[in-house]
Amino acid sequence: MVNALKGILIECDIPMKQFIVSINDQLPNAQKFIIYDLDDTHLFVQPHVADMLQNKVKDFLDKITYEKPA
Amino acid sequence: MSSKRKAAGEAGAAAGASAKGKKAKKGTGKAAEEVTDPVELDEEMPSEPEDDYLDEEEPLEEQGTFNDRDFSKLELKPDHVNRPLWICTDGRIFLETYSPIYKQAYDFLIAIAEPVCRPECVHEYNLTPHSLYAAVSVGLETETIISVLERLSKTRLPEEIARFIRDSTLNYGKVKLVLQRNRFFVESSSPSILRKLLQDDVISRARLSRDDFTISRAPEEAAAREMEKDLLAEGEPEPGAEALEKDLHSFEIDPEQVEHVKQRCLQPGDLCYPMLEEYDFRNDTVNPDLNIELKPMTQIRPYQEKSLSKMFGNGRARSGIIVLPCGAGKSLVGVSASCRVKKSILCLCTSSVSVDQWAYQFKLWSTVKDEQITRFTSENKERFRPNQASVCVTTYNMVAFGGRRSEESEEIINQIKSREWGLLLMDEVHVVPAQMFRKVIGITKSHCKLGLTATLVREDERISDLNFLIGPKLYEANWLDLVKAGHLANVQCAEVWCPMTREFYREYLKKENAGKQQALYVMNPNKFQACEFLIRYHEQQRGDKIIVFSDNIFALREYAHALRKPFIYGPTSHTERSRVLYAFKHDPNVNCVFLSKVGDNSIDIPEANVIIQISSHAGSRRQEAQRLGRILRPKGRAQDRVAGGAEEFNAFFYSLVSKDTVEMYYSTKRQQFLIDQGYSFKVITELPPPDMASELSYSTQQEQLDLLGRVLQADTAEAGEERLGEDLDDIERYRARRSVGNMRALSGADGMVYMEYSTGQPRPMGGRGRGRIPQASRHRIFRNRYGASRR
Repeated sequence: MVNALKGILIECDIPMKQFIVSINDQLPNAQKFIIYDLDDTHLFVQPHVADMLQNKVKDFLDKITYEKPA
Repeated sequence: MSSKRKAAGEAGAAAGASAKGKKAKKGTGKAAEEVTDPVELDEEMPSEPEDDYLDEEEPLEEQGTFNDRDFSKLELKPDHVNRPLWICTDGRIFLETYSPIYKQAYDFLIAIAEPVCRPECVHEYNLTPHSLYAAVSVGLETETIISVLERLSKTRLPEEIARFIRDSTLNYGKVKLVLQRNRFFVESSSPSILRKLLQDDVISRARLSRDDFTISRAPEEAAAREMEKDLLAEGEPEPGAEALEKDLHSFEIDPEQVEHVKQRCLQPGDLCYPMLEEYDFRNDTVNPDLNIELKPMTQIRPYQEKSLSKMFGNGRARSGIIVLPCGAGKSLVGVSASCRVKKSILCLCTSSVSVDQWAYQFKLWSTVKDEQITRFTSENKERFRPNQASVCVTTYNMVAFGGRRSEESEEIINQIKSREWGLLLMDEVHVVPAQMFRKVIGITKSHCKLGLTATLVREDERISDLNFLIGPKLYEANWLDLVKAGHLANVQCAEVWCPMTREFYREYLKKENAGKQQALYVMNPNKFQACEFLIRYHEQQRGDKIIVFSDNIFALREYAHALRKPFIYGPTSHTERSRVLYAFKHDPNVNCVFLSKVGDNSIDIPEANVIIQISSHAGSRRQEAQRLGRILRPKGRAQDRVAGGAEEFNAFFYSLVSKDTVEMYYSTKRQQFLIDQGYSFKVITELPPPDMASELSYSTQQEQLDLLGRVLQADTAEAGEERLGEDLDDIERYRARRSVGNMRALSGADGMVYMEYSTGQPRPMGGRGRGRIPQASRHRIFRNRYGASRR
């Protein structure tokens, strides 16, 4: 029986995967979005979270980037 | 027409070269920029205070919605190639360092403007009211400033700038407060200003005699004359060159009222005549002379001479601040200033170690006799003989201490208070704006104050307070020029990016580990390996002497134990410190030492030429510069150190940073000061080289997990940053002191169900557990006692 599941494959480096997993862990069970934790650098997630994740990652990176005040 | 367009193009290029992305957001105007500020973490101070001038310009800037940096209106002079300056209407000045008259232009600019960024080819300066105040105080006059700027500028000097200079210097330096024969005089070259001052209630009440103003003659500013001459020599007879003496009018005021008068004069509004303080030490017959001279073998370097000439320009000593890089001989400047003043000297430093060093420097450079110099620290209470001039070296803490003192020190402090000091030397003067040190200035009566520092930056905006607490900045050296002249080591700076390992990063992201974040990113096994690799490389292949800095005590201990190296931190006893440092200096087998924050300043280790920084005090720019200063003393032969020489770089500064953590943010912020001085940081991503990794510690997963376990078990106090009793860094106060988790750990319920969350303010990102270092948490009465017994 083939079971087809729609989702997004995320490929990233090791720390970034941990970051995404930690976002997932903080959500209540109903909203968890990781479908399969494939390996250190790959995740299979629900299709609707792409934008949310991108924003979160962007915020996160902004937070750890220093910009010289003009 | 075409020449005009060229002016704009080149000015734009210059701005781009040194302002580094500063322009990027400018177009959207000020409002938009302010919105971006909240991104800053709250323990960091937001941006530098905008100076008043720019604020005044705000409406203007908003008008030009997108081209507020368009200077194509400025008219380019036909011989612009020979002139080194671009002057923008917003007060920014760009200096071409390759110009043949760079040296003179630089000397002039440093006197009138604030250096913003000084890389190799184009420097950026900013005209601010404070910098003009400093210019006036070293004796430059408004019209001189304008005419020299006009002469050096490639374009016609913009009207706005001339007006700005006139407006801001109108009142500066017109009134001086002079201590002569123990009487205070308010002095000015124009009687009308004095009359205006006297209309004020407070001031006229403070006036002693009702007679006419006293008139005296004083020689003109030597330094200012010279600078003027340098720059105006080509043609144009100097206005009034023959009148080398000026009439000075003065009236005497009540010494009791000096504070009020000063305050009154500073008040913005109707009276706005900041007073310059000068000390006519040659004519001071009341205070006994101190018989010291520089030893004949003492060589003063040109830039030291220059800074002194700013201070003693008109034969009097004026208060102010001299900024020289670490390792450029600040103490010699202090000692030579003392030898010129030849009165009682009070020298204030930040720690007892530097007290010893200053005392040593005094003996080394000058002919001061042993009985003339006294040290006053908690360990060393040497009395000085009454009624005789002497040099007293002490710490800010000793003088500012407000609690009960021992009888002995009470007596000494009373002597210090009752005495009139000729010169107050303040080492590391950037600490003075801190609340507790302000007291020092009130307590000690001095004719003249000289502040010395390498890093005139604070993370709060109090740095400008120094203008009024001490005086204007008299001189600031250019780091790169000193490197080129061989006075400083040529340092290669590098930032090493270490990826976090999976397990460490997982823990780092957990909310409940917020207090241990620092420990986690510092103990990152990849960082450990990079550190180990660098130590090995420099020890074995280059035979260098290495200092490893870590603010995190837990990491300091772990690293040092694992690598079998000696380490020094706050609680390390004095004898052990000396033993370790002695071994480091003299034993060929001890090439590496681990230091905590205590090593930031004042531990003098001239042998070291490599610094590896594994953890640091948040985003403190000052700490970064000060650590770099540990290796700035030049080593090896000067001719090897030039570009392309045998050893172009012989000092190395590595900053190890864990990727994807808040450390990245801090690291970039910390570098800003050095980047502004013209240093550049190389980023290294592949360290250690992949083939080396297996030879280093923590290469197996099991070892890494053990390490992680240890980090997580360490109690929050251990894992936090060190707090020193005397540490009064500016950022510190913005930290939340409360640390959640201590109770849990104490009760043994760590990891159990009950959890406490702090409500209200969310924890700042990267806020570390405010460690309860035993010494720091004690009440201040006990702190000294425990601190002393441990030492």
